Amino acid sequence: MTETTTAPAAPTTVPASDAAPAAPPRRRRRRVTPGRVLAWAVMILILLVTLFPFYWMLRTALSSNGALYASSTSLLPVDFSWGGFERVFGLQSTEEAIAQGGSGASIDFWLYLRNSVVVATVVTACQVFFSAMAAYAFSRLRWRWRDAVFAVFLLSLMVPVIFTLLPNFVLVRELGLIDTLLGIMLPGLFMTPFAIFFLRQFFMNVSTEVEEAALIDGASKVRVFFSIIIPMSVGPIATIAILTYIGSWNDYFWPLMVSYTDDSRVLTVALGNFNAQTPQTGPDWAGLMAATLVAALPMILLFVVFARRIVNSIGFSGIK
Amino acid sequence: MAAPSAPPAPPVRVGRVGRRDDTRLALLFILPASIGLVVFYFWPLVRGIWLSFTSWDLLSPAQFVGLDNYRAMVADPVFWNAVRVTLLYVVINIGLQTVVALVIAVLMQRLSRSTLLRSLVLAPYLVSNVVAALVFLWILDFQLGIGNQVLEWAGLERIGFFTSEAWAIPTIAMVNVWRHMGYTALLIFAGLQAIPPTMYEAARVDGASEVRTFFGITLPLLRPILGLVLIISVIGSFQVFDTVAVTTNGGPVDASRVLQLYIYDKAFGQFDFGYASALSVAMLLILVVVTFFQYRMTRAGQTDLN
Amino acid sequence: MHHARRTTATLAAAVAAGTLALAGCAGPGTAAADDSVVLDYWLWDANQLPAYQRCADEFERQNPDLQVRISQYGWNDYWRKLTAGFVAGAGPDVFTDHLTQYPGFAQRGLLLDLNDLEATADVDYGGFQEGLADLWVGQEGSQYGMPKDFDTVALFYDTNVVTDAGLTPEDLADLDWNPDNGGSFEKVIAHLTVDENGVRGDEEGFDPGNVAVYGLASNGSGGMSGQTTWSWLAGTTGWTFTDKDVWGTEYHFDDPRVQKSLEWLFGLVDKGYMAPYEEVGTEPNPQQALGSGRAALSANGSWMLGTYANLEGVDLGIAPPPSGPVGHPVSMYNGLADSISAQTPDPEEAARWVAFLGSDDCQQLVGEAGVVLPARPAGTEAAVEAFRDRGLDAAVFTDMVEKKQTLFFPVTEQFGAIDALMTPMMDEIYIGDRDVSTLTEVNDQINGLLK
Repeated sequence: MTETTTAPAAPTTVPASDAAPAAPPRRRRRRVTPGRVLAWAVMILILLVTLFPFYWMLRTALSSNGALYASSTSLLPVDFSWGGFERVFGLQSTEEAIAQGGSGASIDFWLYLRNSVVVATVVTACQVFFSAMAAYAFSRLRWRWRDAVFAVFLLSLMVPVIFTLLPNFVLVRELGLIDTLLGIMLPGLFMTPFAIFFLRQFFMNVSTEVEEAALIDGASKVRVFFSIIIPMSVGPIATIAILTYIGSWNDYFWPLMVSYTDDSRVLTVALGNFNAQTPQTGPDWAGLMAATLVAALPMILLFVVFARRIVNSIGFSGIK
Repeated sequence: MAAPSAPPAPPVRVGRVGRRDDTRLALLFILPASIGLVVFYFWPLVRGIWLSFTSWDLLSPAQFVGLDNYRAMVADPVFWNAVRVTLLYVVINIGLQTVVALVIAVLMQRLSRSTLLRSLVLAPYLVSNVVAALVFLWILDFQLGIGNQVLEWAGLERIGFFTSEAWAIPTIAMVNVWRHMGYTALLIFAGLQAIPPTMYEAARVDGASEVRTFFGITLPLLRPILGLVLIISVIGSFQVFDTVAVTTNGGPVDASRVLQLYIYDKAFGQFDFGYASALSVAMLLILVVVTFFQYRMTRAGQTDLN
Repeated sequence: MHHARRTTATLAAAVAAGTLALAGCAGPGTAAADDSVVLDYWLWDANQLPAYQRCADEFERQNPDLQVRISQYGWNDYWRKLTAGFVAGAGPDVFTDHLTQYPGFAQRGLLLDLNDLEATADVDYGGFQEGLADLWVGQEGSQYGMPKDFDTVALFYDTNVVTDAGLTPEDLADLDWNPDNGGSFEKVIAHLTVDENGVRGDEEGFDPGNVAVYGLASNGSGGMSGQTTWSWLAGTTGWTFTDKDVWGTEYHFDDPRVQKSLEWLFGLVDKGYMAPYEEVGTEPNPQQALGSGRAALSANGSWMLGTYANLEGVDLGIAPPPSGPVGHPVSMYNGLADSISAQTPDPEEAARWVAFLGSDDCQQLVGEAGVVLPARPAGTEAAVEAFRDRGLDAAVFTDMVEKKQTLFFPVTEQFGAIDALMTPMMDEIYIGDRDVSTLTEVNDQINGLLK
């Protein structure tokens, strides 16, 4: 996500082996110390644990449902077939799909993808922006009830999910927003307590010197927000944006409640077709695994793109 | 506050007198968020608390019953079991997750700046709770799972990961650690990034070792973020539901019957929404108390940097 | 600072783009462009969706002023979405209903009485498979559902495995059982069980601790109904769930017949003939067991016929459950039906759709899809044909209905609470930590709930 660039104002680059996180990697060869070896060993172990289930998903996605039970510990796809992926993209006819153990419901993949993108993008943009504004108020502005109101916002972190589900649904119904994308977006559009909390912790850490300099120059606090705090918090903001995007993208139950037709169906709900449809039958394993991988792909791409773009200049002694 | 002899400064929009009072501006800034708060959190909360004093089956009008639900709750062994099971889960889950995430975050920062690495680490978070649970249900299946196959090759006994009372909760906890460790690591990593390198420089100049730097500088400066991460993780962990519903559905015999599962069953399975609300209020209170202590202990409200 | 402008600009652009996109996605509303009434129909079985779509097309052809919009939601989501729909008044007009759920809905006035609506008032409920319609009659005589299909339970097996063991399908079709010594059924199960060393369950030196193939696949503990797990055992001792066919007020879990049946069944674990709880957990997968060769016989319902048929490498055979002390097999008899929501704005039109759903026309269309056994005999015929075309013999399932060798699914109030109470206890019995005799106390508790 955020790359650390070298602090431009770092004085001498002292060789001492593994202390500085921001030292330029180019000129020195890292000494291979036991500490480093151990660190890499741990990292590799973690990567293995993280990635093995993905390999398993891929292997299952490329298998045929009927044969899966017969050889369930095989590390290679069982009875190789593209069927899983075909069903995800809606490329199989109903008969074919049912014959292969799929559900036969029709999938208009690109429509659902578009809906997901719209929902996630708008929610992320609005939520992050409004949450940043509130976070600023809770961290950099001085006002009498600041801590009390923040406590109330924190409290909303803990509101049980079961309390919000039905009232929100009834509200969306009364606003006539059932089966619309706006209806899906509505609860998340204004803020989440997490985003506010998160950004506030970072805004707290932004140095006051630069801010005071600006204030003395006559800038308003609003100006400070836009010209100083936000630019200096691009890292955390990008982080929360990505996490919000992922959360919105993966949301299943609420969009399921709100959508009734294809008009407002998002990808996760559509791909819910691959879960078990009837009690006691298993899911369409190949389709489900393929669906998961395909649904995760846009976000991985997003992540990679943004991680490169956003350069986090933490070593800010640079007044740029 | 007038600039001395400089040309007239652009008007400061905040309160004229008392230069440090930003109340009006603050209220403006929290306005959109407050709309969201009141409509989508506060109102449901108040309504939920009200419902906990009623008997409501979702589909006919609610009837006030005073403290009946609470009295029943205190006497309900399933409730106390749920609290116990949930606490056990939270302790295992958060303990493991925080340590692992911290390790990953530090490794990410020190070992390699590769974006690929960071994407890979975050990847489990992209998989939904339900799918992750299904995949592990398969991998850890007693008979057909590769996990147990490996154990057998290693000469160990097969383990009923989801089917034995001793292993059910730890296994579910580990599944969720798998899913959330990258996400948590990312949060902590963002916090690590916010520590100015000048701090590390100073430490290096003073001759501090890796470990010393970590405990003396990194950890304390991470406090606001670690505090946040812990609070968020604990709150989320308490409300675990999907994973349990998919894998054990509360079994074997109540060994994994976490609170949220019980609440859902009462609400949607038995249409006893008043009681479910009371249970939720109980959970809320537990969370409030736990969060309060966490906030205080990590002093997440203060920063050492400014 | 470029970043500020860029960040704000990006955000603004995103919001603008989003709003524009939204403008193009305004909700459709439930009224169609023309004057036709649109009926929303919900179901959960995706495999039946194409068949019902054909029904809808035919219905629309016969009723040009009506449109049917079918929505399919998977089982897990179905009931929650339905409930939320009821709460907010955003539910369907007609929906597929289940015996465990409808008492709760009926009690809360959410279902319409089909006898009150013109199109369904004169339906001859005797024209369905016997007894199905009665399952859906409320306590005060209202007809809450139009029968849709029925299911029964039988034994699935892989013919290859059975012949390898020296048995024939005929052998399996004629087994007897009793809770005391298991009869010939237990002998067959024992014979089909093979341990890691290739020793069969009825041979010397059989090691119950190291079994490779279990004679009987595990269906778990069965909860309060044991539909595929033990209902076909307890039922064939003459035991019934409650004091009446439907709307009973007293359960009979204190009856020694059911207790001994359960004891026999879960006793198979110690003998090594059935997998322990440890292996299968709360949601066992018997078709997986059969498909992977882990089990030889699997008791399951007719709705699973298609799934079992899809197992590769398995030459599927079907046998009736064993005959017990009453002299013949007994299978649980369950049926789905279509109900009309009380919140529908178009009750009479909805009734026309429901009447069509219950007609020979529609049920034959559904039967031809070869997924379930429709409630009308004509439909059942069509289904049996369709199965036969695929090489599957569904006669075993329908024979039991014809010979009245059935046991009704227990329809009572408080299903949710009873199920929540019984399931962990039955699991415990399966695991072996609880004795079947404790069911007598549990029975009192359950009956207390029904008062």
